[in-house]
Amino acid sequence: MALLELNKVKKIYQQGKIEVPALRGIDLMVEPGEFTTIFGPSGSGKTTLLNMIGCLDTPTEGEIKLNGDRVSDLSRTKLAMVRRYNIGFIFQAYNLIPVLTAYENVEFAIRLIHHLKEEEMKEKALNILEAVGLKGLETRRPNELSGGEKQRVAVARALVKEPKIVLADEPTANLDSKTGADVIKIMVKMNQKLGTTFIFSTHDPQIMKYAKRLINLRDGMISGDERR
Amino acid sequence: MFSIKLGLKNLTRQKRRNFITILVIAFAFFIYLFIGSMMEGMEEMSFNNIKNYDTGSIQVAHPEYWEDKDKLPLENLIYLNQDVEESIKNIDGVLGVSPELRFKANLNNGIDEVAVQGMGISIEQYNEVFATQNHVVEGSMFVPGESKAVIGVSLAELMDLKVNDYITLLVRTKEDTFNTIDLEIAGLLYTPNPMINNGIVFVPLDIARQALNVENGISMMVVKTNKEKEINQTISNVNQIFQEKNLNIHAYSWKESAKTVIAIRAAEDAETAVILIIILTIGMIGIINNVILSSLERTREIGMMKALGMREWEIVLVFMVEATGLGILGGLTGCLLGAAGVWWIVKYGYDLGYIGGDMSMYGIPIIDKLYGVWNFSSFIFVFFFGIIVALLSSIGPAYWAAHKDPVKAIYHR
Repeated sequence: MALLELNKVKKIYQQGKIEVPALRGIDLMVEPGEFTTIFGPSGSGKTTLLNMIGCLDTPTEGEIKLNGDRVSDLSRTKLAMVRRYNIGFIFQAYNLIPVLTAYENVEFAIRLIHHLKEEEMKEKALNILEAVGLKGLETRRPNELSGGEKQRVAVARALVKEPKIVLADEPTANLDSKTGADVIKIMVKMNQKLGTTFIFSTHDPQIMKYAKRLINLRDGMISGDERR
Repeated sequence: MFSIKLGLKNLTRQKRRNFITILVIAFAFFIYLFIGSMMEGMEEMSFNNIKNYDTGSIQVAHPEYWEDKDKLPLENLIYLNQDVEESIKNIDGVLGVSPELRFKANLNNGIDEVAVQGMGISIEQYNEVFATQNHVVEGSMFVPGESKAVIGVSLAELMDLKVNDYITLLVRTKEDTFNTIDLEIAGLLYTPNPMINNGIVFVPLDIARQALNVENGISMMVVKTNKEKEINQTISNVNQIFQEKNLNIHAYSWKESAKTVIAIRAAEDAETAVILIIILTIGMIGIINNVILSSLERTREIGMMKALGMREWEIVLVFMVEATGLGILGGLTGCLLGAAGVWWIVKYGYDLGYIGGDMSMYGIPIIDKLYGVWNFSSFIFVFFFGIIVALLSSIGPAYWAAHKDPVKAIYHR
C-alpha cells in the first residue's frame, strides 16, 4: 500500500471573480522511504502541492490518502492531529521559535506527540541533534546559530517525532550552495538511517541530484516523474 | 505544559513593549489603590470627626425635634430627670452622657454680628463624651459657674476676637422674645472638625437655659459608647428605658446625623466603580494591543505551530499565559507602587492647604490634612482582578491569532 496517494487533486483559488487554478488534477503515489524532489518553475504549484500533502490545505477536487486513510476532507482539528502524528515540516525560513534554544525547539515537537519520561525525551532530542551535527550547540538560541545550523535544527525538529513523511519547501533556498548541500546530505542520511519519507521542493539542480525520484511540475500538472 | 512554558518564555520578547504594558497596568492599579486609600481615609476621618466632636455615638431626642433639628427649634425639648440619666449610664458599654441645648444666636463683638449656633453644655459631662477639650489652643474650657464661652479659632478670626474679650449672644427665648447673653471668651478651639471651629459658641448649660427660658429642657442627650459594633443593641436598650418610663423620646445612631457624609461616601463608591472601569479598560486595551501586535509579529511562528499539529486551543493557551504573565507583573508592580503611595498618604497625609485647607464647604468635616488608610483586601482584590482581566481580555485576540489559516500564516510576509 502506498504511503501517500493523490487522485485527481485540483486546487482552484478564487481571486475576486477570477478562478486561478493552482493544481489541475494531480495523480501521485509515494511509497514509504522515498526521497523525492518536486521541481518546476515559479508558479507551477510546488508549494500548493506540498500544502495539500502536508494537510495544511484541502483540495477543491480529488482525494488524498495518507497511509490508506482519506485526509482530504477532514476538519481543521482532525487535520491538525494528522499533521501532529504523521508529518514533519522543514521551512525555507526555518521558522524556529526565537526564545527557545536549539534543544527546546526540538523538544517542542517531541512534547506534542510523546508522553515520555523527561529523561527519555531529553535523550531522544539530544540524539537527533547529534545526528544532524549540532552536538555542543544545544543551548544556543536561533540568533546564535548560522543559517545552516538553524536549518539543521529544523530538520531535527521535523524528524524527532518520527513522522511518516517529512515535507520541505525549498529548504536550501536561504542557504549558500555548500551549506545547502550539507543540509540535503543530512536529510539523505536520515532517510537512509530512519527510513523516513522525504518530499521536498527546489529550484536548485545541485540539490536535485541527491533525490531518488524527480517529479517535474508545470502549470499545476505533473509533466515528468523520474526514478533513479 | 509546553504551551505554558512557551507563553512564559515569550514574556522575554519585545521587552520594551511588555515593559510599557506592565507600567500602564501598574499605573492604573496604583491610582486605584492610592485613591481608594484616600477615600477610605476621608470616610474614616469624617466619621471620627462627627462622632468625637459633634454627635457622639447616640443622640437622644424627641422624635418631632429630631425631624426639625437642623432648624434648632426650642419646641419639643426633652426633660430628663437624674433617674433616666443614671439608667442610660448604667447600660453596658456606655462611657458617658452629655446634655446639649442647641439654639440659634447672633454673635456680636460690639461692631459686627454673625449668625452662629449656640451650644449649652454641662462641661464635666461634655468632656466625658467629646474630645473637644484636647483642642483648646488658647485659654481653656470654662468651668461650672463661670459666665464664659469657648469658640473656634476660625470664628474668632472672623470676628476679631481673642481670649478674655467679651461677646454678646442675641437669642430668642422659647416665647420668641429677644434676650442677650454676655460672656467672656475663656478659650479658643481648633478641632479636626471644621464645622465646630467655624460657627459654634459653647456656653454653660445653665446660662443658656436661663436665657432661653426653657427651664430644665435640653435639645438632646448625647451618649458615648465603646461598643461601636453593638450600637444597635445599645440604642435598643436606651429606647427600652424610655418605653418603660412612658417617655416620647427616641435614641438615634450617629449615622443618622452623618447622612450627608454617608451620601458622599455612596457617591465615592460610584466614583471608585468608575475608576475600576477605567482601570479595566486601560488594562484590557494594553493586553489586547499586546496580544494583537505579538500575533501579527509571530504570524509565521503561528503557522509553524499549526503545521506541527498544535491545536488552536494550545496556541490560544500560549498567548493567554503570556497575557496573564503581563497581568501578574503589572499587578505586582502596581501593588508595590500602590503600597509606597498608600504608605506615604498614611504617614504624611495630603495637605488640604492646596485646596483651601477646609473640606467643610463640601460637607466633609475634615481640616488641614487628609490621611489614607491601609486596606489590604483592596490590594488582593486589584491583583487578582488584574489577572482575571488580563486572562479574559487575551482570549479574543489569542483566538483570532490561533484561528489563522496555516498556509497564509506560514507564507506571511
